[in-house]
Amino acid sequence: MITATMRLLEMSDSQFPVGNFSFSNGLETASYENIVHDAPTLAAYVRAATIQSIYSDGIASLHAYRAATRGDHDDIVRADNEVILCKMNDEARQMVLRMGKKLAELAVHIAPSPQTERMLADINSGATPGTYPVVQAVVMHAAGINEADMFTSQAFGVANMILGAALRCVRVSHYETQKILYDLAPVLEADYEAIRTLGYDDMRAFVPGIDLMASLHEKGQMRMFMN
Amino acid sequence: MKDVVNSKEMQRVVATREMQPYNRPTRAMYIGAPGKVGYLRLGFELDKDGKSIMRDLQRMAPLIVQQELYCDEGMPAMPVVYILSSGGPNVDGDRYEQEIVMRRGAIAHVTTGAATKIAEMNDNFSALCQQLTLEEDSYLEFMPEPTIPCRTARYVTRTDITCHASATLFYSEIFACGRKHRDEPEIFAYDILSVTCDARRPDGERLFREKFVIEPGKQSPEMLGIMGRYHMFANVIVLTPPDKAEEIYNATEVGFKDGGDIAIGITRLPNHAGLLLKVMGMETEPVKKIVREFASTVRMTVKGHPLLPDFPWR
Repeated sequence: MITATMRLLEMSDSQFPVGNFSFSNGLETASYENIVHDAPTLAAYVRAATIQSIYSDGIASLHAYRAATRGDHDDIVRADNEVILCKMNDEARQMVLRMGKKLAELAVHIAPSPQTERMLADINSGATPGTYPVVQAVVMHAAGINEADMFTSQAFGVANMILGAALRCVRVSHYETQKILYDLAPVLEADYEAIRTLGYDDMRAFVPGIDLMASLHEKGQMRMFMN
Repeated sequence: MKDVVNSKEMQRVVATREMQPYNRPTRAMYIGAPGKVGYLRLGFELDKDGKSIMRDLQRMAPLIVQQELYCDEGMPAMPVVYILSSGGPNVDGDRYEQEIVMRRGAIAHVTTGAATKIAEMNDNFSALCQQLTLEEDSYLEFMPEPTIPCRTARYVTRTDITCHASATLFYSEIFACGRKHRDEPEIFAYDILSVTCDARRPDGERLFREKFVIEPGKQSPEMLGIMGRYHMFANVIVLTPPDKAEEIYNATEVGFKDGGDIAIGITRLPNHAGLLLKVMGMETEPVKKIVREFASTVRMTVKGHPLLPDFPWR
């Protein structure tokens, strides 16, 4: 119990070196355009980003986790491909691929397991894309973290990434960002119940506002955060 | 004529999970009744003189297509087809299916005669499934007029695209928030809009699958990050070879226009399939104008001809 919780905390920490802190999920542009400018607008932006993530990456990740439990590598690869097929935004696609590969490299170093080693080998050979939510599923399964905790970690990761970036580019305080995160918890509880039985056909995303920010960032010159 | 209601394509659309809360028998005319099931199959190909013509036409009212016209002054060799619906708006339990086949080298522009209204619904939903097939070097502009989902409307669509790597598809959809300018404005007052587009190569290689579901009763589209303050939304998919896609990408301006009343974004689709343009606006006309300008960029890049301004009565 303590071991699994400890590993969950380690892998959810913003210090965990997968590059989480380098991205802003379009927030940099949203801030520049004065669309996100205070705590309420930031809270709404974070919520939109978590909805997007949960109903696309989140669903694929749960399938990958269950496939890892069954030892079904083919379904892990399928989940991985579904993430890419459903990720319309180029910048977001690059982000999940970079972070996924980083996590796989890190995992074979700190927690080697046959599944993580195979995942990294497949990423390096091009046999699977290696998206972050799917690599997370494989690594967290190997680390003894349960499915609901993995879901929580992923949603926390998305929110925390934006809130961390917000401290650098939006006029908000630590108190406000922590309050946003705290209030998100019961909402995510309901989200997990809503998506846990969904299939690949149910993966979806409707956040044109965030897509627009990513597009402006992709074509623009602002570079505090990566694209 | 195809049995639309029982086709495997339509069954798949009807079985979509998010539509099941609305999948009840209709109290008015039954699902599958004459006039509530439309079918259209359009096949374009080059004739012996190299002219692109509509060779195949199958239709079942309320979907109607008459003969192709060569009325596009920007590209007079291209057949233009207007899809009409004789039944007025889509109503509860309507089932429509459209197939368009572009044979090798064929070109065509397909649109609708007027906006597609999705009427108020009480029991069931309206469904549309489409199959678009583009063979080698073919070119299709599919630019229907906007879709207007009225209060309590439920609408599900699925579009399956099979596109050869050398072909170009311009596929635009514009969704209004509702009948915005009624005495009692309808702004996101519909029940559900579910839109899926799945694209592949002819050998079965998957390219992308875009799905969005808008359920205003469950999650307000007016939230920041979703539609925010905007009411109209255009989603434009361009499948084209990578070198053309890069030219179009570089030639397309993104950002805010008209004092912020229009927002435009573009990105590259997965698997080097092409581009995706998203436009949000306050009113339909400015959004249509941006989509048309983008279509002109695509046409100029791929075919070397511009798309002229629309007819004034459109």
